[in-house]
Amino acid sequence: MPDNWGFVAAAYGLTAAVLLWYWRRLAKKERELERVNAGSETTVAERSREPSKTGHPRPEPSPRTPLQ
Amino acid sequence: MVRVLGWLVMAFAVAPREVTQGNVQRIMYVHVPLILASYLAFGVLAVASLVYLVRRDPGADRLAHASGEVGVMFVGLGIATGSIWGKPTWGTWWTWDARLTSVAILFVMYLGYLLLRGTIEDPERAARYCAVLGIVAALDVPLVHFSVYWWRTLHQPPSLMKPGGFAGSSSILWPLLVNLVAFALLYAYLVARRVRLLRAEAEATA
Repeated sequence: MPDNWGFVAAAYGLTAAVLLWYWRRLAKKERELERVNAGSETTVAERSREPSKTGHPRPEPSPRTPLQ
Repeated sequence: MVRVLGWLVMAFAVAPREVTQGNVQRIMYVHVPLILASYLAFGVLAVASLVYLVRRDPGADRLAHASGEVGVMFVGLGIATGSIWGKPTWGTWWTWDARLTSVAILFVMYLGYLLLRGTIEDPERAARYCAVLGIVAALDVPLVHFSVYWWRTLHQPPSLMKPGGFAGSSSILWPLLVNLVAFALLYAYLVARRVRLLRAEAEATA
Protein backbone atom coordinates (compact mmCIF):
# COMPACT_ATOMS: atom_id res chain seq x y z
CA MET A 1 0.00 0.00 0.00
CA PRO A 2 1.38 3.48 -0.81
CA ASP A 3 2.47 5.56 2.14
CA ASN A 4 0.08 8.48 1.57
CA TRP A 5 2.28 10.95 3.42
CA GLY A 6 -0.04 13.76 2.30
CA PHE A 7 -2.87 12.29 4.36
CA VAL A 8 -0.56 11.87 7.37
CA ALA A 9 0.59 15.49 7.07
CA ALA A 10 -3.02 16.69 6.71
CA ALA A 11 -4.15 14.84 9.86
CA TYR A 12 -1.24 16.06 12.01
CA GLY A 13 -1.33 19.55 10.51
CA LEU A 14 -5.06 19.94 11.12
CA THR A 15 -4.71 18.74 14.72
CA ALA A 16 -1.79 21.09 15.39
CA ALA A 17 -3.60 24.04 13.75
CA VAL A 18 -6.82 23.55 15.76
CA LEU A 19 -4.96 23.09 19.05
CA LEU A 20 -2.89 26.20 18.33
CA TRP A 21 -6.05 28.15 17.47
CA TYR A 22 -7.69 27.12 20.78
CA TRP A 23 -4.51 27.92 22.71
CA ARG A 24 -4.36 31.43 21.19
CA ARG A 25 -8.09 31.94 21.80
CA LEU A 26 -7.59 31.19 25.51
CA ALA A 27 -4.58 33.52 25.67
CA LYS A 28 -6.55 36.30 23.92
CA LYS A 29 -9.46 35.95 26.34
CA GLU A 30 -7.04 36.05 29.28
CA ARG A 31 -5.44 39.25 27.96
CA GLU A 32 -8.85 40.88 27.40
CA LEU A 33 -9.93 39.99 30.92
CA GLU A 34 -6.70 41.39 32.38
CA ARG A 35 -7.30 44.62 30.46
CA VAL A 36 -10.89 44.87 31.74
CA ASN A 37 -9.77 44.21 35.32
CA ALA A 38 -6.98 46.77 35.05
CA GLY A 39 -9.49 49.32 33.71
CA SER A 40 -12.00 48.78 36.49
CA GLU A 41 -9.31 49.33 39.12
CA THR A 42 -8.84 52.91 37.93
CA THR A 43 -10.91 54.86 40.43
CA VAL A 44 -12.89 58.00 39.81
CA ALA A 45 -10.36 59.92 41.90
CA GLU A 46 -7.52 58.73 39.71
CA ARG A 47 -9.46 59.69 36.60
CA SER A 48 -10.09 63.17 37.97
CA ARG A 49 -6.35 63.77 38.23
CA GLU A 50 -5.90 62.99 34.53
CA PRO A 51 -5.81 66.00 32.18
CA SER A 52 -9.15 66.78 30.58
CA LYS A 53 -9.51 65.36 27.07
CA THR A 54 -11.46 68.43 25.90
CA GLY A 55 -8.82 70.87 27.10
CA HIS A 56 -11.17 72.57 29.55
CA PRO A 57 -9.80 72.99 33.06
CA ARG A 58 -11.41 70.66 35.58
CA PRO A 59 -13.19 72.48 38.39
CA GLU A 60 -11.50 72.12 41.74
CA PRO A 61 -13.61 70.10 44.17
CA SER A 62 -15.47 72.37 46.53
CA PRO A 63 -14.42 72.22 50.18
CA ARG A 64 -18.08 72.77 51.15
CA THR A 65 -20.63 70.00 51.35
CA PRO A 66 -24.01 70.70 49.69
CA LEU A 67 -25.63 71.25 53.10
CA GLN A 68 -23.25 74.08 53.96
CA MET B 1 5.27 22.16 23.79
CA VAL B 2 7.17 19.23 25.34
CA ARG B 3 3.99 17.14 25.15
CA VAL B 4 3.56 17.93 21.46
CA LEU B 5 7.21 17.17 20.72
CA GLY B 6 6.96 13.87 22.62
CA TRP B 7 3.80 13.04 20.70
CA LEU B 8 5.53 13.68 17.35
CA VAL B 9 8.70 11.77 18.33
CA MET B 10 6.66 8.73 19.37
CA ALA B 11 4.49 8.83 16.24
CA PHE B 12 7.26 9.33 13.69
CA ALA B 13 10.58 8.21 15.21
CA VAL B 14 9.68 5.35 17.56
CA ALA B 15 6.62 3.76 15.98
CA PRO B 16 7.39 1.48 13.02
CA ARG B 17 5.83 1.57 9.55
CA GLU B 18 2.76 -0.68 9.65
CA VAL B 19 3.03 -3.69 7.30
CA THR B 20 -0.38 -3.62 5.55
CA GLN B 21 -1.44 0.06 5.82
CA GLY B 22 1.95 1.69 5.39
CA ASN B 23 2.74 5.05 6.97
CA VAL B 24 -0.87 6.24 6.85
CA GLN B 25 -1.39 4.11 9.98
CA ARG B 26 0.60 6.79 11.87
CA ILE B 27 -2.62 8.83 11.87
CA MET B 28 -3.83 6.35 14.53
CA TYR B 29 -1.33 7.84 17.01
CA VAL B 30 -3.35 11.03 16.97
CA HIS B 31 -6.85 9.71 16.10
CA VAL B 32 -7.14 7.10 18.90
CA PRO B 33 -5.82 9.35 21.72
CA LEU B 34 -8.11 12.19 20.58
CA ILE B 35 -11.20 9.96 20.74
CA LEU B 36 -10.23 8.39 24.09
CA ALA B 37 -9.44 11.83 25.56
CA SER B 38 -12.88 13.00 24.39
CA TYR B 39 -14.45 10.02 26.26
CA LEU B 40 -12.59 11.30 29.32
CA ALA B 41 -13.82 14.84 28.71
CA PHE B 42 -17.46 13.80 28.41
CA GLY B 43 -17.16 11.50 31.43
CA VAL B 44 -15.82 14.40 33.52
CA LEU B 45 -18.57 16.64 32.11
CA ALA B 46 -21.29 14.12 33.13
CA VAL B 47 -19.93 13.72 36.67
CA ALA B 48 -19.48 17.49 37.11
CA SER B 49 -23.03 18.07 35.78
CA LEU B 50 -24.41 15.55 38.27
CA VAL B 51 -22.50 17.28 41.10
CA TYR B 52 -23.91 20.62 39.94
CA LEU B 53 -27.50 19.33 39.96
CA VAL B 54 -27.07 17.93 43.49
CA ARG B 55 -25.07 20.74 45.14
CA ARG B 56 -25.61 23.74 42.83
CA ASP B 57 -21.88 24.36 42.99
CA PRO B 58 -20.81 26.91 40.30
CA GLY B 59 -17.32 25.35 40.30
CA ALA B 60 -18.79 22.06 39.06
CA ASP B 61 -20.65 23.91 36.32
CA ARG B 62 -17.45 25.68 35.24
CA LEU B 63 -15.64 22.31 35.10
CA ALA B 64 -18.47 20.83 32.99
CA HIS B 65 -18.41 23.85 30.65
CA ALA B 66 -14.62 23.72 30.19
CA SER B 67 -14.60 19.95 29.75
CA GLY B 68 -17.38 20.16 27.16
CA GLU B 69 -15.50 22.77 25.15
CA VAL B 70 -12.27 20.76 25.05
CA GLY B 71 -14.22 17.53 24.47
CA VAL B 72 -16.03 18.96 21.44
CA MET B 73 -12.71 20.10 19.99
CA PHE B 74 -11.13 16.67 20.58
CA VAL B 75 -14.03 14.64 19.20
CA GLY B 76 -14.27 16.96 16.16
CA LEU B 77 -10.58 16.45 15.50
CA GLY B 78 -10.99 12.72 16.09
CA ILE B 79 -13.72 12.56 13.43
CA ALA B 80 -11.66 14.65 11.00
CA THR B 81 -8.44 12.63 11.45
CA GLY B 82 -10.43 9.38 11.17
CA SER B 83 -11.95 10.62 7.95
CA ILE B 84 -8.51 11.55 6.58
CA TRP B 85 -7.30 8.03 7.47
CA GLY B 86 -10.44 6.47 5.95
CA LYS B 87 -9.97 7.90 2.45
CA PRO B 88 -6.76 6.01 1.56
CA THR B 89 -7.64 2.96 3.68
CA TRP B 90 -11.36 2.40 3.09
CA GLY B 91 -11.60 4.39 -0.12
CA THR B 92 -14.14 6.83 1.32
CA TRP B 93 -14.07 9.91 3.57
CA TRP B 94 -17.26 8.92 5.37
CA THR B 95 -19.74 6.08 5.69
CA TRP B 96 -22.92 5.93 7.76
CA ASP B 97 -21.95 2.88 9.79
CA ALA B 98 -22.88 2.56 13.46
CA ARG B 99 -19.56 3.82 14.90
CA LEU B 100 -19.28 6.85 12.65
CA THR B 101 -22.95 7.74 12.97
CA SER B 102 -22.97 7.43 16.78
CA VAL B 103 -19.81 9.53 17.13
CA ALA B 104 -21.29 12.16 14.78
CA ILE B 105 -24.40 12.27 17.01
CA LEU B 106 -22.12 12.66 20.05
CA PHE B 107 -20.34 15.59 18.40
CA VAL B 108 -23.62 17.30 17.41
CA MET B 109 -25.13 16.80 20.89
CA TYR B 110 -22.17 18.42 22.64
CA LEU B 111 -22.02 21.16 20.04
CA GLY B 112 -25.66 21.79 20.96
CA TYR B 113 -24.62 21.77 24.62
CA LEU B 114 -22.18 24.64 23.96
CA LEU B 115 -24.74 26.52 21.86
CA LEU B 116 -27.35 26.13 24.61
CA ARG B 117 -24.96 27.79 27.06
CA GLY B 118 -24.62 30.73 24.74
CA THR B 119 -28.36 31.18 24.12
CA ILE B 120 -29.66 31.31 27.73
CA GLU B 121 -28.90 34.59 29.46
CA ASP B 122 -29.65 33.54 33.04
CA PRO B 123 -26.44 31.72 34.14
CA GLU B 124 -28.22 29.58 36.75
CA ARG B 125 -30.84 28.37 34.27
CA ALA B 126 -28.19 27.78 31.57
CA ALA B 127 -26.14 25.70 34.01
CA ARG B 128 -29.20 23.62 35.01
CA TYR B 129 -30.37 22.91 31.45
CA CYS B 130 -26.83 22.18 30.27
CA ALA B 131 -26.22 19.81 33.18
CA VAL B 132 -29.26 17.74 32.15
CA LEU B 133 -28.25 17.77 28.47
CA GLY B 134 -24.63 16.92 29.38
CA ILE B 135 -25.70 13.83 31.34
CA VAL B 136 -28.15 12.66 28.64
CA ALA B 137 -25.55 13.15 25.88
CA ALA B 138 -22.93 11.20 27.86
CA LEU B 139 -25.16 8.11 27.49
CA ASP B 140 -24.02 8.08 23.86
CA VAL B 141 -20.37 7.42 24.88
CA PRO B 142 -20.88 3.68 25.66
CA LEU B 143 -23.02 3.45 22.53
CA VAL B 144 -20.11 4.83 20.47
CA HIS B 145 -17.62 2.46 22.09
CA PHE B 146 -19.69 -0.74 21.85
CA SER B 147 -21.33 0.03 18.49
CA VAL B 148 -18.59 -1.97 16.73
CA TYR B 149 -19.65 -5.06 18.70
CA TRP B 150 -23.42 -4.51 18.56
CA TRP B 151 -23.68 -3.81 14.81
CA ARG B 152 -21.77 -4.82 11.69
CA THR B 153 -19.54 -1.86 10.98
CA LEU B 154 -16.80 -0.90 8.56
CA HIS B 155 -14.92 0.56 11.52
CA GLN B 156 -12.68 -2.00 13.19
CA PRO B 157 -13.19 -3.06 16.85
CA PRO B 158 -11.26 -1.16 19.56
CA SER B 159 -7.51 -1.81 19.74
CA LEU B 160 -6.84 -0.70 23.31
CA MET B 161 -9.99 -0.73 25.44
CA LYS B 162 -11.18 -4.30 24.87
CA PRO B 163 -11.24 -7.61 26.77
CA GLY B 164 -7.86 -9.34 26.54
CA GLY B 165 -5.93 -6.13 25.98
CA PHE B 166 -3.89 -5.02 22.97
CA ALA B 167 -3.13 -7.84 20.51
CA GLY B 168 -0.62 -6.01 18.29
CA SER B 169 3.12 -5.41 18.54
CA SER B 170 4.55 -3.57 21.56
CA SER B 171 6.35 -1.23 19.15
CA ILE B 172 2.89 0.06 18.19
CA LEU B 173 1.38 -0.19 21.67
CA TRP B 174 3.96 2.00 23.47
CA PRO B 175 3.76 5.02 21.15
CA LEU B 176 -0.03 4.73 21.35
CA LEU B 177 0.03 4.66 25.17
CA VAL B 178 2.53 7.55 25.40
CA ASN B 179 0.37 9.63 23.06
CA LEU B 180 -2.72 8.69 25.05
CA VAL B 181 -1.08 10.00 28.24
CA ALA B 182 0.09 13.13 26.36
CA PHE B 183 -3.44 13.91 25.16
CA ALA B 184 -4.91 13.22 28.62
CA LEU B 185 -2.39 15.70 30.09
CA LEU B 186 -3.14 18.20 27.33
CA TYR B 187 -6.86 17.82 28.11
CA ALA B 188 -6.20 18.41 31.85
CA TYR B 189 -4.06 21.48 31.10
CA LEU B 190 -6.57 23.08 28.71
CA VAL B 191 -9.49 22.40 31.06
CA ALA B 192 -7.61 23.85 34.05
CA ARG B 193 -6.79 26.98 32.06
CA ARG B 194 -10.38 27.33 30.80
CA VAL B 195 -11.83 26.83 34.29
CA ARG B 196 -9.53 29.57 35.64
CA LEU B 197 -10.68 31.86 32.86
CA LEU B 198 -14.38 31.11 33.48
CA ARG B 199 -13.89 31.84 37.20
CA ALA B 200 -12.17 35.13 36.42
CA GLU B 201 -14.98 36.08 33.99
CA ALA B 202 -17.60 35.30 36.64
CA GLU B 203 -15.75 37.43 39.20
CA ALA B 204 -15.39 40.29 36.72
CA THR B 205 -19.12 40.36 35.90
CA ALA B 206 -20.24 39.94 39.57
